[in-house]
Amino acid sequence: MRKLSETQSGEQGVISAIQGDVRFLSRITSIGLTLGCPVTVLQNVKKRPILLYSRDSMIALDRSECDKIQIGGAEK
Amino acid sequence: MSMVQTKTPVSVQDPVIALLGQPNSGKSTLFNGLTGLRQHVGNWPGKTVEQKEGYFIRNGTKYTVADLPGTYSLSANSEEEIITRNYIAEGKADVVVILADASQLERSLFMLADFAGIQTPAVLLLNLMDVAREQGKNVDATVLERKLGIPVVPFSATDVKHYDGFYQALDRALLEKPLLKTAALEEKYRGLERFAELYSLMPREGMGDYSPVWLAAKILEGDAPVTVRVRELLSSEKKAELDALAAASQDGALFTGECKFAWIDALLSDAVSGKKHAKSLGKFDRVATSRKWGKPLAVGVILLGLIAAFVPAAPFMIVGGLLPSLLSPAFTAGLTAIGAPQFLIGLVCDVGVNALYFAISMIGFVFGITLVFGFIEEIGYMARISYVFDGTMSKLGLQGKAIMPFLVSFGCTIGGAAGTRVIDNWGQRVLTISLAWAVPCAATWAIVPMISSVFFGVWAPLVIVAIFAVVLLHMWITSKVFGRKLVDPEERTGLIMELPPYHKPKWGSLLRYVFGRTKDVLVRALKVILLISLVFWLLSYSTDGDVTKSVIYQIGTFIEPVTHFFGLSWQTFLAFVSSAVSKEAALGVLSSLYAGTGTIFASTVGTAGQAANLGEILVANIAPAEALAFIFAVTFNIPCVVAVASTYNETHSAKWTARIALYYICMALLMSFVVYHVGALFLG
Repeated sequence: MRKLSETQSGEQGVISAIQGDVRFLSRITSIGLTLGCPVTVLQNVKKRPILLYSRDSMIALDRSECDKIQIGGAEK
Repeated sequence: MSMVQTKTPVSVQDPVIALLGQPNSGKSTLFNGLTGLRQHVGNWPGKTVEQKEGYFIRNGTKYTVADLPGTYSLSANSEEEIITRNYIAEGKADVVVILADASQLERSLFMLADFAGIQTPAVLLLNLMDVAREQGKNVDATVLERKLGIPVVPFSATDVKHYDGFYQALDRALLEKPLLKTAALEEKYRGLERFAELYSLMPREGMGDYSPVWLAAKILEGDAPVTVRVRELLSSEKKAELDALAAASQDGALFTGECKFAWIDALLSDAVSGKKHAKSLGKFDRVATSRKWGKPLAVGVILLGLIAAFVPAAPFMIVGGLLPSLLSPAFTAGLTAIGAPQFLIGLVCDVGVNALYFAISMIGFVFGITLVFGFIEEIGYMARISYVFDGTMSKLGLQGKAIMPFLVSFGCTIGGAAGTRVIDNWGQRVLTISLAWAVPCAATWAIVPMISSVFFGVWAPLVIVAIFAVVLLHMWITSKVFGRKLVDPEERTGLIMELPPYHKPKWGSLLRYVFGRTKDVLVRALKVILLISLVFWLLSYSTDGDVTKSVIYQIGTFIEPVTHFFGLSWQTFLAFVSSAVSKEAALGVLSSLYAGTGTIFASTVGTAGQAANLGEILVANIAPAEALAFIFAVTFNIPCVVAVASTYNETHSAKWTARIALYYICMALLMSFVVYHVGALFLG
């Protein structure tokens, strides 16, 4: 299990934990990122928001937000 | 508990329908498609959130359409979300039309899941069905309809000719008042810790259109406004119980979120077929989002767009430019023939014809910018621009998209203001416009280098560099001054944004939108320009063209002690004042005052010539420190009267337009003051 911000481009995994205040949790849920949700990291390069693919959608997330999200093992 | 109930089949008189959907769900396209130009845009009373309402008439019935603010959910994270859900819960709409993007159905059905439990009749529109089909996806609406208990319509908002299915579903919903089935979702909620206890504390009949299930789920999500309202209804003992449950549920959104998506997955399990999207970046996106090329590409596209915007703009500008020479002699001859007084002829020709000239010349540019940037938005590239510039723009409290109006403002502030249309948040839009005013436009560049080189010769480039430095400083200060009021710091979360898939532009709906906007802008701009020109004309009017007989001269010389304080003589001060009408006017007015070429008004609107040896005359009459102060005052003055009109049109707030204008005048004078007194030390 590690932070989403520390993943590599092309990596796949499942969200295992999300931390943050009520506002952040509700916002991140509304864009489709929930516990147990499979994600593919499309692009993770320095100083740029991370690009994810999840639930049919491409999503851009700030790096600081990605620190609050944990990714567990590869999708089965 | 089933929520399906059918009331007596009486069709609603003057029905009100509300459109609800996440950003990119095509809500605005549908709103424009339904109402055409029959829209009213304003702000929600006392809020910094845009309110859009319109209507359409079908079979003799008037349907009012409320376009609710685009939000991702119905929680209480922003003013938009609270306004949206209150509007629905207060029963103001007879039917809520929920939009989902069929090409990204799983994620975009979240709004439906968050709505579940609100007892307002609803219709689900599966928009962008054409895009989903292109992707090879198939959605079975009848399966969804059976599971949800409300009409479900496969749809394409851009295809206005095929709205029939939607109209039928709407009428059915108005007649049968179907409510969304929530039993399956409720069952999932019941599996959550603390849900059953919370549910037992909820008012039995719900609250407005909110059902007890919806209320309990929101409290579990840590929703403060709902918790407060429910709490008021409870005995002190139960209040303590509620507080304890609420305090323990701060991460509840994660668990209800899981339930909502599990419910969506179950819904779609046998309704969606076809291939899944590729899970990698497309070729173009690899460049568009790359660290190295993303920004240069975005800037390149915007600048190309700016040039492209001049193509449709050119004919308008040419026609507009001909107007004074065509109409003024005709009006003069006509009015003289019927014996109209000189005053009236001047009024019609100077004010009326010139206002028309201004408005028509600029409308082409507004048309071009709206078209080009509407196009970039429509095909999906705007979100990439937002992505690559998010880091830079967030320092000013803005979305990445704000880079676009800023760059456009180097060409023309009017276009910059019109271009803020793509920013979906009203407060951010107003803030972006207020910063874009600080960007010197082409007209500024047409006069400032000239004045600088006349006075400072080889040192002129230094003046330009100083102006650029002040632009950045000005924008930073302005973002601090207005940012707090316009963009709630609490709502400034880091970037969490969806990048929609690229799709082909739908020219029909795009052009309809652009024409509608342009007409709107023209009418409003004409009013503002007429008003301001009239005031300026009256102030500068004199019976024989001698400036010393005008009111503006009286005022100018009377307050000269004050303007001296800012480093300006009455002549440069008048030129500064007229530069707020148009920047080019600054030179023309100086020429008029020092060399006697034409009246002040004619010089301001650009119909009078300038003295050939203007440079020499200026150097002979104006001290270097005053000239430098003047350059800064003019550069950072109000961009032009049409930009004011354009700002009013985008913000639809006279208060904010006036506030920004006043702020710029004060800043320009302040800058003039500082530059003059510092300059005097070095330049003497």
